[in-house]
Amino acid sequence: MNKMREVLLDVRNLRVEFKGKSREPFVAVNDVSFQIYRGETFGLVGESGSGKTTIGRAIVRINETAGGEIYFKGRQINGRIPKELDYEITQKIQMIFQDPMASLNERAKVDYIVSEGLYNTKAYKDESERKAKVEAALLAVGLLPEFASRFPHEFSGGQRQRIGVARAFVMQPEFIIADEPISSLDVSIRAQVLNLLADLQRLHGLTYMFIAHDLSVVRFITDRVAVINKGQIVELAETEELFANPLHPYTRSLLSAVPVPDPIEEKKKQVIAYDPSQHNYTVQKPLWTEVTPGHFVLGNADEVAEYSISRA
Amino acid sequence: MVQPILAAKDVTIKFSLRGRILTAIRGASLNLYAGQTLAIVGESGSGKSVFTKSFVGMLDSNGWVESGEIMFEGQDLAKFKHDKEWAAIRGCKIAMVFQDPMTALNPLRTIGLQIQEAVELHSDARGSVAKARTLELLRDVGIDDALHRYHQFPHEFSGGMRQRVVIAIAMACSPRILICDEPTTALDVTIQAQILGLIRTLQERYNLTVIYITHDLGVVANVATAVAVMYAGDIIEYGTSSEIFYNAQHPYTWALLSSLPQLGIKGQPLYSIKGTPPNLFAEIVGDAFAPRNPLALKIDFVERPPYFQVSPTHYARTWLLDPRAPKIDPPATIKHLREKFVGVRA
Amino acid sequence: MISKKMTTLEQQDLFTLANYDASLGERTGYSNYSYWSSTVRVFLKNWAAVACLVILTILLVFTFVQPYLPAQRDPNEINISPETSRQLRNVPPGQEFWFGTNSIGQDLWARIWTGTRTSLGIGIAVATWNITIGIIVGAIWGYVRRLDRLITEIYNVLDNIPTTIVMTLMAYMLRPSISTLVIAMGVTGWVPVARFIRTQVVIIRDREYNLASRCLGTPASRIITRNLLPYLVSVIMLRFALAIPGAIGAEVFLTYIGLGLPLNIPSLGNLINEGRQLMMIPTMRYQLIFPSIVLSLITISFYVMGNAFSDAADPRNHV
Repeated sequence: MNKMREVLLDVRNLRVEFKGKSREPFVAVNDVSFQIYRGETFGLVGESGSGKTTIGRAIVRINETAGGEIYFKGRQINGRIPKELDYEITQKIQMIFQDPMASLNERAKVDYIVSEGLYNTKAYKDESERKAKVEAALLAVGLLPEFASRFPHEFSGGQRQRIGVARAFVMQPEFIIADEPISSLDVSIRAQVLNLLADLQRLHGLTYMFIAHDLSVVRFITDRVAVINKGQIVELAETEELFANPLHPYTRSLLSAVPVPDPIEEKKKQVIAYDPSQHNYTVQKPLWTEVTPGHFVLGNADEVAEYSISRA
Repeated sequence: MVQPILAAKDVTIKFSLRGRILTAIRGASLNLYAGQTLAIVGESGSGKSVFTKSFVGMLDSNGWVESGEIMFEGQDLAKFKHDKEWAAIRGCKIAMVFQDPMTALNPLRTIGLQIQEAVELHSDARGSVAKARTLELLRDVGIDDALHRYHQFPHEFSGGMRQRVVIAIAMACSPRILICDEPTTALDVTIQAQILGLIRTLQERYNLTVIYITHDLGVVANVATAVAVMYAGDIIEYGTSSEIFYNAQHPYTWALLSSLPQLGIKGQPLYSIKGTPPNLFAEIVGDAFAPRNPLALKIDFVERPPYFQVSPTHYARTWLLDPRAPKIDPPATIKHLREKFVGVRA
Repeated sequence: MISKKMTTLEQQDLFTLANYDASLGERTGYSNYSYWSSTVRVFLKNWAAVACLVILTILLVFTFVQPYLPAQRDPNEINISPETSRQLRNVPPGQEFWFGTNSIGQDLWARIWTGTRTSLGIGIAVATWNITIGIIVGAIWGYVRRLDRLITEIYNVLDNIPTTIVMTLMAYMLRPSISTLVIAMGVTGWVPVARFIRTQVVIIRDREYNLASRCLGTPASRIITRNLLPYLVSVIMLRFALAIPGAIGAEVFLTYIGLGLPLNIPSLGNLINEGRQLMMIPTMRYQLIFPSIVLSLITISFYVMGNAFSDAADPRNHV
């Protein structure tokens, strides 16, 4: 049934490397493949250094790819691309950053910050139209239009993050990558931003890729989740399916460690440690296999057999 | 009546900032009992760090304790003026562990020397005796290869291991109270579980009293026996962990619990607290949470609520508990949690 | 306040639900912290810097006002005594000549103020040139990764050429004049500035707000002018403030080795040089002391003010 939906983003065998001091480049993303359908919220969950942010940045072309392809609506968008396609992606794919204290230009007024993308793609006829767009974007995120003439330091963290959302939203994108948008926010503000993202999605048909390190938050907002560890996706499934039947040992370990704000549940919890050396990949190489429809796992043939049995 | 080991009463702390006075803590009171694990919960700007820093005399130079008392072992810590007076308490009887292990350690010295320095500072041990104690501390915090690790530098450790070293330094003097300021926020979830487990082990072994400062209610649920909720420089509710989670009384605590995505229902909007915390430069009249509280009474804008007792261990600063107040229905999430409370109490 | 005097009805009313206005909560988060007014406030708290600012302003104003004051002499005029018809050489400071005269009878007072004007002019021109070119090259060098290797190699070559030799050569090849000096100092003076700016740019170029701008499609030139440079204002001001006395000092040095301005264009360099030659004669030391005092005042003032402003412009000091 998923196959009937339009594939908006198609990532195939993506590989991203960083040149370090040693001769060997550091492989941040190693052979990652997944698809995102129009209208869904796709979660990408991993710990720090797993490569999740790198994937997001590779899609918006901040990081260069060393291998593999990224297709957006059927056209390849990584590597060298023609200028018009670059413009088109700038408008259609946008990003929300993690730290509201660092992701806004402190020396620019909110008006300039929100309009920056509009200036770049000349997406307005005249000054009054631009102003109208900025006002509409600020209102859409729950801020007052009078905030346009102020500077970022005059606002709180939650308000700043909403300015960041307005900045992405004013471009009228189709696909937004939200890179840990609530991790740096206070607990009481997170709900505001999550509700806002959900509202915008409902009203404007947006598609999200939600990058996070907190599985419990992801459960609330995503339709499908991919779990990534050290540059490789180890499991991908619909959210409820992943939480009900986690197959990969890393996923299980991650799930067991997530703190739940419920003392009774917490006392009952047992943390499972993940030991990467438990996989024996010397003889049988791990493959990305579909265990049940829509539920993928990285494992060699023996492991997949085990998982299928435990799932059944 | 069990006496608290630390009793803060009506503490007011002010800061001089850009020529104006900011009241960071407005008459907060707190009792800490031996063996407890107290979690102080609040958003940034609520004053939770500032409040605990006043227990160890680490307020920034532009801040001071204006009034109130902090009684510890018969002394009033609020009256301390000089660093000398703090020498016997800070690091020694009350130790602090900070959030970021990367910046808490000196990158140019081996961790062994850093721990040993703390040992020598707070005891008479020197030389090989101090070193033996250092190795013992390293093993205590779960660093197995102690002798080898003794000579290593902080950059050779991972984040979780560094936090263990920082805890070892804090434990050097066998303190009575350990204050942990967001000790696991910068760590991954799996490491976080290990560090929390470590602190619990140390607590049992050495009969420590621990204060956790955090905004993560999941961590609170895991570790805390008692919880104090702070808002705008005041403790608005405190009680045992079960009482706060399953029988919260203050609208802010309700809002906090209702807004957690972990407790949310998919497809329905989360309850979110509108607006932002109040400006602490200004004088606050009445209940600080009132402008953001859809369940505020008129009196919340007029007069500050006193502490109302819900149980011998549970107090909340809200006019809703006054007998004259109307009976308000808490949000759905809270009602759901209250059902669990009945089960717990029974 | 609830008081016993209130009727039970009034008390009861207080315990009813208040009207909830969501926007009330939205406005309370506003803080009216202003970057520039905090900078000025911190700067003014530093009394040494304020004193230097006052001194420098007086000095500057005076150098421009001085020619228009009554009874001022021409700096190049050789003053002849009406009685003896001989040149009034080396007259010590007194009623007639406030700063005395030099070895050929020129009025030192007029020469010093004219010289200060000239030296300040050279200093500001050179500093402006160096800073501007340094910023342009440094920003591009730091931000555009593809050009990093190339410019680094060019820098390594330029940096290893002793600037003294370049300055000397240029001053030697061209006729001595103000523009010669400015060119000579400007040919190499921008290089260390470029290096410094490049380092600063490298530090901030990958901060999230710059990544966000890239993601929005902002071209490199606008990222440099709107994102990076405004952030570096405080360090740029410091370099500028220190570059001025640096240029004046370089001019003094060039004059010392004989490649400075001709004597008919007074400058602090010539004056100090002339004075140096008479240093050993106690009664004529005034010819060295006066220009030296002026030069010292300028240098110290710029130095103190530059540092104070740079500290004040750092947001971490706005407490």
